[in-house]
Amino acid sequence: MSGAERFVAQPDTDLERASNGYLMSLVVLMAGLPLPVINLLATLFFFIANRKSNYFVRWHCMQALLAQFSLFLMNSAGLYWSLSIIFGDKSVSNAYIAYIITIVLFNAVEFFAFMYTAIVVRQGKHVEWFVYGSFANVLCRP
Amino acid sequence: MLSGLFTVHLLTYYAAPDMKKAFAQLTFLVMLFFSAWFLLSKVDFMKLLNVEHYSKSTEQKLGELIYESISETQTVETDSASLAKLDEIKVTICSKNSLDTAGIKIHLIKSKEVNAFALPNGHLVVYTGLIDDCESAEELSGVLGHEMAHIEHHHVMKKLVKEVGLSALMVVTGGNGGGQVVKQLVKLLSSTAYDRKLETDADMTSVDYLCNANIDPEPFANFLYRLESEVEKGAPKEIYWISTHPESEKRAQEIVKYIKTKKVVKRPLMLTADWEAFKNGVKDL
Repeated sequence: MSGAERFVAQPDTDLERASNGYLMSLVVLMAGLPLPVINLLATLFFFIANRKSNYFVRWHCMQALLAQFSLFLMNSAGLYWSLSIIFGDKSVSNAYIAYIITIVLFNAVEFFAFMYTAIVVRQGKHVEWFVYGSFANVLCRP
Repeated sequence: MLSGLFTVHLLTYYAAPDMKKAFAQLTFLVMLFFSAWFLLSKVDFMKLLNVEHYSKSTEQKLGELIYESISETQTVETDSASLAKLDEIKVTICSKNSLDTAGIKIHLIKSKEVNAFALPNGHLVVYTGLIDDCESAEELSGVLGHEMAHIEHHHVMKKLVKEVGLSALMVVTGGNGGGQVVKQLVKLLSSTAYDRKLETDADMTSVDYLCNANIDPEPFANFLYRLESEVEKGAPKEIYWISTHPESEKRAQEIVKYIKTKKVVKRPLMLTADWEAFKNGVKDL
């Protein structure tokens, strides 16, 4: 059994909880933009809170958590670089501006992906992302 | 990066098909991220967004405002002979270190304070008290080199942005800042220290400048030792340079250690008689 077959006919409450995993990330993403670790922690707590839920909910919380983790790494490096410019001896350069644009692009893509997935999962459809979906399959067992 | 990819490749080779697929996709995503960053960094954003122009014009306006405030409240010396001697030291250091001579503007202020400090846009303020306290032209050139390093390495603007904030500086240069803020900036630059890291950077750069210009850097370290001992003996409050440059003894030791790694061809910067005449001239101002 693989892919969407494992996720058919979920109860309504589970659909809502799985969808909330993405909504949670979205809300915290907006609230904790300057501090990337807040997003990761919030998603991690949500994952822990749902670790005894059924496979469908756990799988989607895992996918959201993995996506947040990659954003956390990118954004933390961006934050560290920005702080080094403001408080340290580094200065603004083309590489820095390019990095900020790159992480903004990746954040934007993930933001819309989170939004789309939250809506679609709520309707009972299974969405498996590139990279994160594959890792969720490996890390999250039925 | 290559070793990382190699590790990923090994992991995907030996792992289960699911894991293999996940790592292959991760490798693709990581490569996509770095490719996007690499391609974007080829765009000259600094020119496109006029970053250098805006930061230069902000620095220029700030420099003018701060120097104007100093010249309104303190006595700026215009004695051509003294200024010519200071310029002579500046030109010697600049020419041997490929620095823009016109970019550094030295101003002499009549004051008993043993102090010198850099302002935005290359203004360098030297108090007559500092010249009076120096025992040789080499000591003075060490201090000047230190302040020139702050200018060349953009430490001044970094300090202002860190302490005051970029938005506040923009407001000041936009004409809405008022004299009080500018006075605060003068106080900040003339009587507070830079980060220890920036101070060390300025010290070592000064030694480099002096060595390249065949000026003996040891008197610069001696100057720091002397100031420290004067403070320990209960020196008068006029010694401002020491309050803005704490831990002078430690810094002097680091300078001496650094000098040992350099090859220095020492040539006298000024004849003793010329130095004495210069000092007396400054004292009589």
